[in-house]
Amino acid sequence: MITVSHLRKTFGKVTALRDVSFQAEDGRVTGLLGPNGAGKTTTLRILYTLLRPDSGTAAVDGADVTRQALEVQRSIGALPDSKGLYPRLTARENIRYYGELQGLSGRRLEERIGALADLLEMENILDRRTEGFSTGERMKVAIARALIHDPRNILLDEPTSGLDVMSTRSMRAFIRRLRDEGKCVLFSSHVMQEVSALCDTIVVISNGAVVIEGSAEQLLRATGQTSLEDAFVAALGSGEGLQQ
Amino acid sequence: MTPSLRRIWIVFRKEVVDNLRDRRSISSSLLTPLFMPFFLIAMIMVMGRTIMADLVEQPLDLPVVGAEYAPGLMAYLRENNVNILPGPADPRAAVQEGEANVVLVISPEYGEAFQRGQPAPVQLVIDSTRTSSAAHIERARQLIGGYSATIAALRLTARGVDPGILTVLSVERVDIATPQGRAVIFLNMMPFLLVMTIFIGGMYVIIDTTAGERERGSLEPLLINPVPRRDFVLAKLLASLPFAAAALGIALLLFGLLFNLVPLENYVGIQMNVDAQVMLNIFWVSLPIVLLASAMQMVVASFTRSFKEAQTYLPFLPLLAGLPGAFLAFVPVKTSLWNALVPIFSQSVLINQFLRAETVAPVYLLISAAATLSAALLFILLAVYLYNREGILFGAK
Repeated sequence: MITVSHLRKTFGKVTALRDVSFQAEDGRVTGLLGPNGAGKTTTLRILYTLLRPDSGTAAVDGADVTRQALEVQRSIGALPDSKGLYPRLTARENIRYYGELQGLSGRRLEERIGALADLLEMENILDRRTEGFSTGERMKVAIARALIHDPRNILLDEPTSGLDVMSTRSMRAFIRRLRDEGKCVLFSSHVMQEVSALCDTIVVISNGAVVIEGSAEQLLRATGQTSLEDAFVAALGSGEGLQQ
Repeated sequence: MTPSLRRIWIVFRKEVVDNLRDRRSISSSLLTPLFMPFFLIAMIMVMGRTIMADLVEQPLDLPVVGAEYAPGLMAYLRENNVNILPGPADPRAAVQEGEANVVLVISPEYGEAFQRGQPAPVQLVIDSTRTSSAAHIERARQLIGGYSATIAALRLTARGVDPGILTVLSVERVDIATPQGRAVIFLNMMPFLLVMTIFIGGMYVIIDTTAGERERGSLEPLLINPVPRRDFVLAKLLASLPFAAAALGIALLLFGLLFNLVPLENYVGIQMNVDAQVMLNIFWVSLPIVLLASAMQMVVASFTRSFKEAQTYLPFLPLLAGLPGAFLAFVPVKTSLWNALVPIFSQSVLINQFLRAETVAPVYLLISAAATLSAALLFILLAVYLYNREGILFGAK
């Protein structure tokens, strides 16, 4: 479970986050929806301990992201904004490296790599160097290495950006599967359809603050709209920076 | 193994394997050191031959225009081991094009002026910018000056004056430089070349594991792993050390081989000690530089956003850090305890001492290593501090 409360973050004169609070429950998919520059990536970076908030708190399974960073890092699997791989290492070596950094080793690690490769349908590329991989293949490796330690909380920053239709569909299926296993899945997107199709809880964020938060029905009721996409536009005041 | 050591080992092993597969890292570590020793030996041999080949013993070839006007001078020159050659049609052009080092031109008025006891006009056509002619020019000048002084003395004696009255000072020149002396300058550059080799040897690994990691977009996901930043810094630093140390080792091996193949003492004119033990001593003494070089490069690379940017800044480091040591090539410095405190400079002093088979003071050696390792530690702490900042994600500022 992820709890975010009154986060504020500035970079020099730029205020990235004014006031961001929300909660992401286990066994649910929570979507952070907002136009580019709304503060989605900054919020996620605070959650995976790369940035420290100026004020406010964030906790993963009760562990504070600033004071218990290592504990948080052990309990999350993250697909951040940058998803770079090591091109001179094979897919397997890329994944194994992260597994070892998470404290796995030996047979347990190799079995886990095998299971993820099976799940993500990537056995055929597992022992190839990642140089020259397609976006979809890269994404699979990035996800496998992020989830190698079977974390309870999964944070994904724009996980479908750059993917083709087939890859996007399998990514969605994969996210649902994680939810059904009881994981807490938090992902960010600026694509309305994606959020509508996947999320149990939606957090709409704009200009560094949460505009509205709740389930699909709650959002429809609060905005008095009949479609979710109209509800998003109504909540934000405009659909600018979003994608259908 | 403690968890920290285990993590450092994991990152270290990954970086070493990754960089062993990188052509740039391999070539900067294994090919650069091949270049340095050949460069040095070639410079010593070229300089040793052209400037300072022992000219005094050999006859000086001197083209003379108008030799017929000055038979006395010609006789004097021949007595002093000069080959009088027929002068070129255009002396200036001959010197300019390098056909002659120096041309003596005797004017037709020479005979008449000489008879009347007035200064008789002669010209030496030279090009003072050409260092390879310097010895010839100097010798021609001295011979002509000598003839002039001899005749002046004869004239004074003929007038009943003691020629000694014209000599106010009695200057005796005692030149202790061996004829080959200048080639030693190049030998003294060896420490500097070794420092360059060390820096370049580890440079690509450092760039790849810091700025390269950021440029590839693999830094952000990497830092999300439960590993203290300190461990990342130490592991990446350690990963560059084998590459830098290999560069140093290869360079020394080649230096040792070449020094033993080429009779260097003939060129540098000093007794040299270049056996395997000396090369090994130089290797040990230089190891603290390996750590310092990597730590310095780590700090600078942490500011750079891309491979290219890092490649722009990092090559200045060995130039800056090696500069004090490079001075040794031109200015002799006595060893003192304070200069043992200057990293890289102190190793340069020690390397020179090893090569000349001079006694090396153990205290100097100890202080040198301690001071350099302390400097390296400061840079490592600085690198850890930089890696703990948020800005490490974005580079610069």
